[in-house]
Amino acid sequence: MTTSPIDRVARATPAAAARRIRGLSDRTIAWIFVAPSIFLLLAVNIFPLIWTIRLSFTDFRVNRPNNDMEWVGLRNYQRILTDDDVWQTMQATAHFLIWTILLQVLIGFFLAFLINKKFRGNDLWTTIIVFPMMLSPAVVGNFWTFLYQPQIGLFNYVVAFFTGADPAGFSMIGDVHLAPWAIVIADTWMWTPFVMLICLAGLRSIPDSIYEAAECDRASKLRQFFTITMPMVLPFLMLAVLFRGIENFKMFDLVVQLTGGGPGNTTTLTSIDLKREAFEKWRTGYSSAYAVILFVTVFGLASIYVKALNKVKDR
Amino acid sequence: MAEVRLTGVTRKFGDDYGLNDVTMTVPDGSFVVLLGPTGAGKTTTLRMVSGLDLPDTGSVFIGGRDMAGLTPAQRDVAMVFQQYSLYPHLTVRENLAFPLRSPILRTPAAEIARKVAEVAETLQISHKLDNKATALSGGEMQRVSIGRALVRRPAVYLMDEPLSSLDAKLRSDLRVELKGIQANSGATLLYVTHDQIEAMTMATHVGVLDKGRLVQFGTPRDLYENPVSVYAASRLGQPRINVLPADVFAGAPQGASTIGLRPEQIHQGEGEDATVRRVERLGDQTRLHLAFRNHEIITVTDAHTALRDGDTVKIRPTAAFYFDAAGQRIA
Repeated sequence: MTTSPIDRVARATPAAAARRIRGLSDRTIAWIFVAPSIFLLLAVNIFPLIWTIRLSFTDFRVNRPNNDMEWVGLRNYQRILTDDDVWQTMQATAHFLIWTILLQVLIGFFLAFLINKKFRGNDLWTTIIVFPMMLSPAVVGNFWTFLYQPQIGLFNYVVAFFTGADPAGFSMIGDVHLAPWAIVIADTWMWTPFVMLICLAGLRSIPDSIYEAAECDRASKLRQFFTITMPMVLPFLMLAVLFRGIENFKMFDLVVQLTGGGPGNTTTLTSIDLKREAFEKWRTGYSSAYAVILFVTVFGLASIYVKALNKVKDR
Repeated sequence: MAEVRLTGVTRKFGDDYGLNDVTMTVPDGSFVVLLGPTGAGKTTTLRMVSGLDLPDTGSVFIGGRDMAGLTPAQRDVAMVFQQYSLYPHLTVRENLAFPLRSPILRTPAAEIARKVAEVAETLQISHKLDNKATALSGGEMQRVSIGRALVRRPAVYLMDEPLSSLDAKLRSDLRVELKGIQANSGATLLYVTHDQIEAMTMATHVGVLDKGRLVQFGTPRDLYENPVSVYAASRLGQPRINVLPADVFAGAPQGASTIGLRPEQIHQGEGEDATVRRVERLGDQTRLHLAFRNHEIITVTDAHTALRDGDTVKIRPTAAFYFDAAGQRIA
């Protein structure tokens, strides 16, 4: 007679229960294992989404839970889409997205291209370059406010040094024309290394022998770049754009710390606006509709983009 | 086309010699096959000539010009890489046309199309011209890789095991084709393989490399009939040369340590007794595995021999090779 724990459990199980357990099909057992995850997913992901969609058709306010909730149909959607302020935040977001992605891709790829050359200490340089990415966005936002400070800020002094302008004569954060660029510069400083790392992975995936073949086939460096390097790094680059795009669409912490959405609402990105509507003005129904609109926008853009990405990868 | 000359070429990788003082002349219009096992320095030699790698000491001359400091493009070489190295996002057609699109050549479009079609025909890949390079089998990629070299008329062709991943039929077809192309165009071709049939059938000259050293250079026939060492003798010949202690047969010269016997150097029917262990009938020939004084000897006999396992056959060496303790030929 064996006395392993399992045998003891088996003996202690009442005959009827044992028969029932033994009678479970593989399919049932599989469901038992997957059920907790599915339950969690439904509870924290799917249910809130559906509930948000439901609320978006009402005038519900979460700080007045006892008020009667009224169905307002598409009125929330109509109000959002015809609101000039909302469109202004959309514009601010688009400006932020387009310029951060453009700058990060250009600079990131350029850095990756340099780092990929074999030279002494390139590991050290990679580590140094990657540093900003490891900081907390709120911290980055906070210390860029010091860098942008007109009286003591390093940024203003550097700009002044190269252009001869008065360092105290402009304020990156206080000026309505400069503030949108202030957040673009800070985000680019922080996230360019990320794009660089992805580009570096792409560059390293190209075997040397392909360049050697091109060398023997008498292709110039420029032609090698456009016929080998670019096409083979492109899928990686597009992936970097996707990551940065999704991340920056929901950008909040860095910008709130840096400019607080101001001056006026020139740097109020949609995520910041949404947070104010939902948790400062407590217009829950309205902000739910806002959230649904953003969700559909991001989801739609991302789907189109992923299709394009797959096409590039299959080439 | 051009003559290729290496003088005292040495290349070290860490403490190991990739190439050790190699001096060799590849005559203009010759087909030179480099033989040797992995790590002997065959590929390194090609890379030295192509300029993809540079010698530590020694010089490479192509067409009488010192190649020091010249890039692969300036040397005008076409190379077939062992790992194919196709441009993965281009079609087969674009891959084949790639070298012709070099601004140095200024080939007209019609000429490019004609050459690509011609090469594709030769290599039996015409039906794959519009496929992506990544959508090919290994053998097809290898043929595209050969084709990419053949579309040009460079000073030298360098080929690194170009037929290794083809099936037997295609390999023998392409052996004939390659030899034909080389002979008709008068191209100089440096070819790396460890397939001795390729060496015997295509080469005008064979170079045998061992641990970075060129141990023998000559015509395949010369190499076969007059090897300088046990190592060189073992490179050619099917079945392989039998190497036995020199004293198993009488008549060894002074200082001989081993005797080397190719099948045709074993005279059957007189001499000493050997036992037949196995009879391998290959169709056009029959191989005999013999046991002779605790040594195994493999030789060839009449295709329709009546010999069977366990029979006894008399053997005697004729015009055998003798090697000293270091493996060098002494007689």
